[in-house]
Amino acid sequence: MQDVALQASQFAAWLADTDIGLFELRTPHGSLRLGRQGDDIVVLPACDAEEAAAVEPAVVRAPSVGVFLHGHPLAGAPLARIGEHVPAGQTVGLLQIGPLFLPVVTAEAGEIAAMCVAHGLPVGYGTPLVELHPL
Amino acid sequence: MIEVLSSAALATVQDLGRTGSLRWGVGTSGAMDNLALAAGNLLLGNALGAAAIEVPVFPFKVRFGEDCAFALTGADCAARLDDQPLLPWWVHQARAGQVLTLGLPQGGAQRGSRAMLCLAGGVDVPEVLGSRSTQLRGAFGGHEGRALRRGDVLRAAGAGAACKTGFGLVPPALALPLQQGGVPAVRVLPAAEYMGFEPASRAAFWAGEWKITSQSDRYGYRLEGEALRPIAPMELRSHGIVPGVIQVPHSGQPIIQMRDAQPSGGYPKFGTVIEADMWRLGQAPIGSRVRFIETNWEEAVAALDEVRAWLDKVARMVELHRGAPAARR
Repeated sequence: MQDVALQASQFAAWLADTDIGLFELRTPHGSLRLGRQGDDIVVLPACDAEEAAAVEPAVVRAPSVGVFLHGHPLAGAPLARIGEHVPAGQTVGLLQIGPLFLPVVTAEAGEIAAMCVAHGLPVGYGTPLVELHPL
Repeated sequence: MIEVLSSAALATVQDLGRTGSLRWGVGTSGAMDNLALAAGNLLLGNALGAAAIEVPVFPFKVRFGEDCAFALTGADCAARLDDQPLLPWWVHQARAGQVLTLGLPQGGAQRGSRAMLCLAGGVDVPEVLGSRSTQLRGAFGGHEGRALRRGDVLRAAGAGAACKTGFGLVPPALALPLQQGGVPAVRVLPAAEYMGFEPASRAAFWAGEWKITSQSDRYGYRLEGEALRPIAPMELRSHGIVPGVIQVPHSGQPIIQMRDAQPSGGYPKFGTVIEADMWRLGQAPIGSRVRFIETNWEEAVAALDEVRAWLDKVARMVELHRGAPAARR
């Protein structure tokens, strides 16, 4: 597979006909980020993990497409409550994909400030799910 | 190695069962909740029928002597790894020295009665007559042919190997629910002597709720409800029976044969719980109530297809997820 940057114009042409706002592709040969500015599709600078963390330190995003759940269906209680202090690596929600549950995990410690999406709603990859106040 | 720390009453090593030996009078044994066993194994990337530990009495405690991935399925038992609460129906990673504790089953209406502890690669015990299940009556298979005791040490065939952990499954109690009049239900095929019972008894069997009495275990469930009366006394010679068969002794209170059922019996057979629903019964707690739904051969086969389709879907999704690169944060 060739360098993905060389395929940017092809991807941009495809994206122009969709309502996709942000497109990110990572392969072993490189990565590509395309965004929408008005009617145009533009190439965005690569966004590495540290940079993303610097921009939005306090948001836990969906690791996949799925249905966001605040708690396990067998348990009565949610996994996290507003105002609760949680360490890094804490599971604060679940994402259901068909028969599968994936954990929604904090990247850093914080205080749960808000649940951005209601229990049981479908979400896309990268959708902000939980807001954290840094401790 | 994992070491059993609790007295572990009645916890046994089980796989999908010792089929094909009934002709020698050897019962099937196997997990009471075969779906929990299969799903736990899929989460770990094990063979579907790898052996696991079935836990019916709590609390239950084990210490991991080495790093080992494990899956918890079946009854949700407020499990903890050291002090860390664990999600049910989930695959976890234990580090050497950590202690896993299973508490009392919880979950209100969805409460089960048996937890399944599946280990990476399966519990490494010798295969006897094609199965690793504990045959309690014959005292062979599983771990030394008996229930586990404090101090027992078991080996996980895949301990120490890298295994993707930290994800789970929608439990089949939610994915494949079955109730009748708000009560958990199982489907039943009328059996050979069904028509030998009074019409009112036949009607009462389907219409009533049946309590699972305290005289219920891996051998059989004794039920309590409106007594089932034969039109005339039936005396039968002993003949082959299988798990799921519902016998009616003279008391009129039925007995459902479970996984450790003896392979023959002489009581009249009222019905047979279909194979696809045996896991539901396997999770029904003592003291709970169950209802019976009349079914036929075609529906029973379709129900088994539905269970297999669910397992196939789980297998596909788990395989996709296990093969995916680790998420970047």
